[in-house]
Amino acid sequence: MGLSASDFAFVAALVRRESSIVLAPGKEYLVEARLIPVARQVGAAGVAEFLASLQRMPNADHQRRVVDALTTNETSFFRDREPFTALTDVVVPQLVKARGAQRRLRVWSAASSSGQEPYSLAISLQESLPPGWDYDIVGSDISTEMIKRSEAAEFSQVEVNRGLAAQQLVQYFERSGAHWRVVQSLRRHVSFQRLNLTAPLPPLPPFDVIFLRNVLIYFDVATKRTVLRNVARLMRPDGWLFLGAAETTIGIDDNYERVTAGRTSAYRLRAAVPAGAAGRM
Amino acid sequence: MLAIIIDDSRAMRLILRRIIAKIGFDAVEAGDGQAALDTIAELTEPPQLALVDWNMPVMNGLEFVTRARKDPRLRDMTLVMVTTESEQSQIVRALAAGAHEYVIKPFTEDSMIDKLALLGLTPTGANP
Amino acid sequence: MSVQTVPNVADLAEMVEQVWTSYLDPEGVEPLIPVEKGANSSEVHSSVSITGSWQGVVVYGSSQEAAKQAAAAFLAMEPDEVSAEDLADVLGELANIVGGNVKAMLPAGCFLSLPQVVLAPESASRYPSAVQVAGLYGTWKGEPISVTMWQSRTDVKEGGVA
Repeated sequence: MGLSASDFAFVAALVRRESSIVLAPGKEYLVEARLIPVARQVGAAGVAEFLASLQRMPNADHQRRVVDALTTNETSFFRDREPFTALTDVVVPQLVKARGAQRRLRVWSAASSSGQEPYSLAISLQESLPPGWDYDIVGSDISTEMIKRSEAAEFSQVEVNRGLAAQQLVQYFERSGAHWRVVQSLRRHVSFQRLNLTAPLPPLPPFDVIFLRNVLIYFDVATKRTVLRNVARLMRPDGWLFLGAAETTIGIDDNYERVTAGRTSAYRLRAAVPAGAAGRM
Repeated sequence: MLAIIIDDSRAMRLILRRIIAKIGFDAVEAGDGQAALDTIAELTEPPQLALVDWNMPVMNGLEFVTRARKDPRLRDMTLVMVTTESEQSQIVRALAAGAHEYVIKPFTEDSMIDKLALLGLTPTGANP
Repeated sequence: MSVQTVPNVADLAEMVEQVWTSYLDPEGVEPLIPVEKGANSSEVHSSVSITGSWQGVVVYGSSQEAAKQAAAAFLAMEPDEVSAEDLADVLGELANIVGGNVKAMLPAGCFLSLPQVVLAPESASRYPSAVQVAGLYGTWKGEPISVTMWQSRTDVKEGGVA
């Protein structure tokens, strides 16, 4: 089979327009594999037939499904692990000192996909905050489908097998038919909203910690800069930003400074970092 | 590094063998818990890792884990249940019996490697 | 009043899909495609019994060719190299995985048997005192595959399942 060049161009243009994500040529195989289930869901005979009918007759619902299928990141609980370790070992102890009056932390999981990251953050804070502290976690994603999934807080067997310790699975999840559901005591700390990181963001109370991982890699430099500027406005002056391992603010946005956090790096707003407070890299 | 793979399905043993080879483990195999105890008894050094199915003939995996935990010689062996038993209560039972981790079938290669990484068993061979 | 929770077709479908994702179609290019309940065209089958608070059997059936392809995928060999023993081993493991996950969705207090494999159509095995309560039918690589759940008849009466 294989996707024709014109079908690929059509999909790439659609995804670019709706999400700013660039699908480079060479990803035809990936595009086709991701669209097979979409074609099946809408009752098309195959991917080619599905795309042909979508080009003949635009359909907002089908377009949204295409964008969702192609912009959903592969994710898992505690993905890459190091940022979560840095959060509990380095960031939380510092914030606990600085927020003694409020006893509350706010964390944003930007581009939270199917929800594993925000719930992993909830588990991390549940296990590392001193008694009497509270926390709010906001997950955001461009995909309404992903927001719906995340709010349901249900994960498949394969998903919970990945990244969670068995002890965490029995402590923070309960079986719900074929799925595992996050327990209410954790869910009540986590909320979701649809956000497009490249557009001006709504006013939200600022965050102490922001996880924005494996998002910037999809954007060109100008869009990366826009996203980082948008994010800075929602970050507390002494807040912490975590990016993906292959991402950086360096050479894109000088307002951030890279600092070591445990065995990984985080980014802080330049003006606010007191001299010597964190190891500069 | 040596592991023992205990499962009555040869296909499952092969899948597990292929996966742990990627993080540097050789493996011996056994088709049930008793056969595993016999195999381990003949080794000059016990395996560092045991991947243990639950439902097997002769001696099931829970029984194997319970016995292995009581054997001082196997004190340092990491025990991972790999089973289709997937009720929360069963996971709790296995952990209480001494299993260190629990992987539910079906599992993907990534999820198995992730679980072993949680136990400090990584491709670089860093051991806890 | 507590609701009798027996896995439905959607639950079976999701579980089976995960078996495919994990072992038979990790690339996501040859999924099991569900079909309307067709003729039960299994040539080989495997089953596990569930006993305890729910009594019944979970049966995995497929054509000879689908079983051979599945065994080849599990064992990382060519379909032509698959022996009868390989076929039985993989069919047994498929019934074990599906059956174990079905059991986890049933009321607490159930036990799973070791798998039984019969290299013959399902009509060769009768579950005389059982009625089918759920069935998933599909094709994989153009070959028929089915997963069915049979509840013991005495149990059905007690549980009040139609």
